[in-house]
Amino acid sequence: MSLRSTARAVPQLLRTGLAETVAYRAEFVVWMLTTTLPLVMLGLWTSVAADGEFRGYSSPDFVAYYLAALIVRNLTGSWVVWQINDEIRRGILAMRLLRPVHPFVAYAASHVAAVPLRGLIALPVTVILLATTARDSLTHDPLQIALILPSLAGAWLLTFAFLFGLGCLAFFIDKSMALLDVYFGVFAVLSGYLIPLSMLPSWLPTVARWLPFRFMLSAPVEVITGRELGAGGAAQLVALQWGYAALILALALALWRAGVRRFEAVGG
Amino acid sequence: MIRATDLRKHFRVHKRPPGLAAAVRSLWHRKYETVKAVDGISFAIARGERVGFLGPNGAGKTTTLKTLSGLLHPTSGTVEVEGHTPFRREGAFLRQITLVMGQKQQLLWDLPPADTFAMNRALYDVPVAQFDATMKELTELLDLGPLVTKPTRQLSLGEHMKCELACALLHRPTTLFLDEPTIGLDVSMQLAIREFIRDYNQRHEATVILTSHYMEDVVALCPRVIVIDGGRLIHDGDLRGLIKTMHPGKLVSFTLTAPMADDELARLGAITREGNRVVVQIAEAALREAVGHLLASASVTDLSIEDPPLEVVMRALFKDGAAPATT
Amino acid sequence: MTAALRYPRLLALQLRVSLTTAMQYRADFVVEGLMSVYWVSWNLLPLLILYADRPSVAGWDFPSALVVIGWFVVLRGILEGAINPSLVDIVERIRTGAFDYVLLKPADSQFLISTARFAPWRIIDVIGGFVILVIAFARLGRTPAVGDLAAGGLLMLAAVIVMYALWVGVVAASFWVVRLDNLTYLLGALFDTARWPVQVFRGAWRFLFTFVLPMALMTTYPAMALLGRIDVTTALACVAGALALAIGARLLWIGAVRNYTSASS
Repeated sequence: MSLRSTARAVPQLLRTGLAETVAYRAEFVVWMLTTTLPLVMLGLWTSVAADGEFRGYSSPDFVAYYLAALIVRNLTGSWVVWQINDEIRRGILAMRLLRPVHPFVAYAASHVAAVPLRGLIALPVTVILLATTARDSLTHDPLQIALILPSLAGAWLLTFAFLFGLGCLAFFIDKSMALLDVYFGVFAVLSGYLIPLSMLPSWLPTVARWLPFRFMLSAPVEVITGRELGAGGAAQLVALQWGYAALILALALALWRAGVRRFEAVGG
Repeated sequence: MIRATDLRKHFRVHKRPPGLAAAVRSLWHRKYETVKAVDGISFAIARGERVGFLGPNGAGKTTTLKTLSGLLHPTSGTVEVEGHTPFRREGAFLRQITLVMGQKQQLLWDLPPADTFAMNRALYDVPVAQFDATMKELTELLDLGPLVTKPTRQLSLGEHMKCELACALLHRPTTLFLDEPTIGLDVSMQLAIREFIRDYNQRHEATVILTSHYMEDVVALCPRVIVIDGGRLIHDGDLRGLIKTMHPGKLVSFTLTAPMADDELARLGAITREGNRVVVQIAEAALREAVGHLLASASVTDLSIEDPPLEVVMRALFKDGAAPATT
Repeated sequence: MTAALRYPRLLALQLRVSLTTAMQYRADFVVEGLMSVYWVSWNLLPLLILYADRPSVAGWDFPSALVVIGWFVVLRGILEGAINPSLVDIVERIRTGAFDYVLLKPADSQFLISTARFAPWRIIDVIGGFVILVIAFARLGRTPAVGDLAAGGLLMLAAVIVMYALWVGVVAASFWVVRLDNLTYLLGALFDTARWPVQVFRGAWRFLFTFVLPMALMTTYPAMALLGRIDVTTALACVAGALALAIGARLLWIGAVRNYTSASS
């Protein structure tokens, strides 16, 4: 498969993906609504902070943090593990292997195609809420604002590559879907999805700073809210994030190759 | 006694056209269309009859069957099965009938069929003595033997189907609705199931209504066929009658020992030739004379007279339908 | 068998079938057990962080909040052990058409569907939740009074009914009104909010979780009853609410089945 033919196939893959998203829009909205965790945490912590700041976070700080987390989570969410598992179980994956486009590209295209609709549903309300109730808790540095998009893109790629790799485990073990639960538990704590990383007890914040999970969610949230960061710090963060994304992507593709070889040997 | 009078079942379905532009448009404008799955069908079936429903895919056979078994509420018209109105699904009615769908299973996947049997015994309140007797009879007739204690997921398709049938008949229903009961099975298994159904029909004086893609099932089992196409009834009677109305005449085939010109043969009727072997379709009235003529000819041997095969009849019947009901 | 005993016996039979199935996958017991411990600690994390800095939040001190979480873990065990497996099964059966067989059985379809499948290993969660409840009362340094235990038990029963009614209602609605099969996941996500005492939320949130999505009925009020902090009116309102929801769910179910038999193909 040449790069050129892949590049030619991508626009159609995106169009089909978008048509699918639109066709299943209702299911789609329901899935997005299931990301209630940040809203519940938001409700909880704002009530707590109403009696006075909690560990340096005021009520608007919490609003900014969790709304930003909600945006990042909605724009970077991925269902690729589920997709790969389902296709292996139903025997469709073999068909995918016969197409002259690398499955990673095909899966990625169907995810990218969903982003506009996700943005359309998630962004307007959250952005207005952010601008009206938590202005002072957001960054005002233009350079840092410019870094928001790259950090979101990096978070998307890192999350997708990581989950693609996790999906590849289905080639090797039967109950890899259970791993998705474990992943979510670890992710929620170490990415700052459940609680801002700095609030974690004892040594956890230090460990979390250097693990890839931080760059899936906390990093873009930090860039948006601008807490103790500055443009220089933000640039460093994004550079590190893209480094992680490249590394995880390479690992995931290697895992895919090994998995497909095994799949071909056993015949699924 | 089963009676359907001017039965209709219409569905409103949403059309989802292909392509992105159409998908976006359907956000605002949903197009609906009414599908007339069954459109004015009437028939009466007496207790103990074996009736085959024939028709191409989407003709309305399964919808009719589902309406008779009480799963669907008719749009209009009336249905009556053994004095009950099916869609009320009263206990007394449900205990008398059974529905077997070849493509849908009711056996529990992870457990041996015996567990599902026990469940159905409880559901249908079958007394233990009667259950044991029925089980014994079914085991013998269907040759179940050790199958009932193997997990269902380990059974072959044919074994699975035999157990599904046993499961559906444990409460000794007197009205059997069978929707494609032999689909996907090999020939010997089809034969076994067919024999079993006939046997059950005779032992319990049970009414059997069957749909099948396999013409042989219908030919072997059903003295009476109801042909449905496009939601309408187009034939109700015996197979012989169906063949007569659709395809008058007989097929006379013979071998030529010396060449004979096509137009001389064509005077007898429509011909098809394959080397020396000739098949001529001859109207009933002209049969005696034509056969006499052929037998008198020195160049004809090995002559036989047959009804047209049902497949040919069905193909003619559904020539403008989607697919003829043959395999 | 007599009519009165018929349904209990059917239930026993369905339970036995689920247990037999579960026994075939015994290794799951270990995995599920570990996962339970993992998720319980995960759920406790925000609570620990919160109470490390504050002695009490919205009138709830740490041990009392632990009572809510303990009951939440029990309830979630019941949900995932006895309610969700069956209801996920319905969606699957409707998709494959095997739902037809359920409708043709001479027994109530809601009963058959609700008892079709159990996940027995979830008993681990239920036990774990009760352990948390015991720890919570040990930290409070007392045992619940007999009257509080009775009131708590009654409201816990009401909570299970509320939960069951919500889930059946949503499944019925999902194949009748909206035709979506993932609505139960949404309900599951919302149910996670029930691990917090409803009083820690303010304004619109509290209204939402009390009246629109009765999370308060499911965890906060039973916990308050156990702690002896509930008044009779609220307790009675909970019971009435549970009954109303159960009736509503029943009506939705009947409507959904009627619609299924008149609209499906």
